[in-house]
Amino acid sequence: MKYLKKDWKFRSSILLIVSVLVSALLILLEMTDWAAQINLNGYSHGSDNEGKKDIPSFLMYVLPFVKELVLIGVPMFISLMLIKLLGKKR
Amino acid sequence: MRDWKNNLQKTRYVMDVLLFVIFLLVSAPQATGVPGHEWLSLFFIVPFVIHLLLHWDWIKQSAKRLFSSISLREKFNTVWNYLLYVIMLLATVSGFLVSVALLPSLSITVDIQDFWSKVHHDFSTLIMPMLGVHLALHWHWIINVSKRMFGKGVTS
Repeated sequence: MKYLKKDWKFRSSILLIVSVLVSALLILLEMTDWAAQINLNGYSHGSDNEGKKDIPSFLMYVLPFVKELVLIGVPMFISLMLIKLLGKKR
Repeated sequence: MRDWKNNLQKTRYVMDVLLFVIFLLVSAPQATGVPGHEWLSLFFIVPFVIHLLLHWDWIKQSAKRLFSSISLREKFNTVWNYLLYVIMLLATVSGFLVSVALLPSLSITVDIQDFWSKVHHDFSTLIMPMLGVHLALHWHWIINVSKRMFGKGVTS
């Protein structure tokens, strides 16, 4: 892992500092009207047992991964097609 | 394949596969359970930092390259990587702010706001299509290094 070891303490410190600073800025979002509006209206994305009663138990473990692969795979496929199309035009 | 530690591209490949597998596990709280999701998320920081460290030279040059005469695709890729980093941070930070297992087990209590729950859910979902585009932008690299990793008789 010689590539990782090179200046890893310095580089990791820089990453940590930048990430903490950006995160601190992102936390400020909770002071915005957008946050106030959502907190006022409330938020819920489904109860634990919603729609799960009729599903075989093994699918409850498989379906989340299928959902991920679709959410990653479809945009990836579309992007690859676009890259190919744009490449042909040039 | 055994020589991957001595080759930067192969080291990146192995670490990226690890990052992707842990990402898939982290992003499926319905399968892992919420406590598993939260502890895995904490562990996910390690391969994520490794991914950034292995692309340190690119990161260093990226801001400068953005304003130089590089192709539109390169510019898009740079902006996309920055965006992905910020969205990843937002998902992580909001995840800590809605923690119901990890932080309480460390005796840290947080007042969970609906805002952070929504941000965590929405932006964690948004990362997936963004990752799809990220993978597409590096597709040639993935295919080339895969061939070098698994191709018979092909040396690095």
